[in-house]
Amino acid sequence: MSIRALIVDDSSVMRKIVERCLRQAGMDLGQVHEASNGAEALALVNETPFDLILSDINMPVMDGLEFIRHLKEMDSGKNIPIVMITTEGGEKSVLEALSLGAKGYIRKPFTPDQVRDHVIPVLRSQS
Amino acid sequence: MSTPTQSPADNNSAPFESWPLALRESVNEVFSMMVGAEIMVPDQADPPVVTEVTGMVGLAGEICGVLSLRCGKGCATKIASKMLGVPITEAASHMSDAIGEICNMVAGNFKAKLNGMQDKCMLSVPTIITGGDYQLLSVAVGDRIELPFLFDGEAVWIGLEVRS
Repeated sequence: MSIRALIVDDSSVMRKIVERCLRQAGMDLGQVHEASNGAEALALVNETPFDLILSDINMPVMDGLEFIRHLKEMDSGKNIPIVMITTEGGEKSVLEALSLGAKGYIRKPFTPDQVRDHVIPVLRSQS
Repeated sequence: MSTPTQSPADNNSAPFESWPLALRESVNEVFSMMVGAEIMVPDQADPPVVTEVTGMVGLAGEICGVLSLRCGKGCATKIASKMLGVPITEAASHMSDAIGEICNMVAGNFKAKLNGMQDKCMLSVPTIITGGDYQLLSVAVGDRIELPFLFDGEAVWIGLEVRS
């Protein structure tokens, strides 16, 4: 069955690169949804079931950490695994994201192999 | 290129002398991993400064300043084309976004290379200026690093202006 993925980043270029990395990892992706900030992503989660969310942290309107806080309060969102992909890779940011419920953390810049190595174990742990 | 001996961030454990190398490595890694192409250091004279596209990311905290990338429009479009894996003709509309993300990743990667700075310095969202007829003035006097690169034979200048 195809994986229903949501990619959240204020950069459309970055969203496309992340999608390409997921496809290069051999993942069977269905339609990939995109959001440019946490608020847009929450609206999508209300409408569509997702198997995986990859989210930036530093975004306008609603950042990635605030997004996880709201997501984990939603019946439709609390069980979706989320992996952060961000330049904010300091220990404080990592620990905060993980404590809020993120399952993984990828620091930009990244290689396709790094995306695969972080995302596939997260999906396996859900199945 | 400016290489002052005193660190603008007094509590910074990485001396300012090491910053140009850390910045150069950051640029190389971002281009290698995210653009999928090498960016070269010019082996002779510095290339001309072509300022048609300027990307900027602000740093705030123990390091206060602005990281910038300046290049020509054609070069910025080539970078976007390589990043996305699309022809040049399709890449023009993504040029600003691509340059903004490059600045963001270079700034993030740079501060990660300075010991202990990752959590003590925040980044702004990127700003892009297209066109060259402008002057950027800083109200605070500080230090500046300017590094020239060549991407596919075209000049790319990376700058880091730090406020004292």
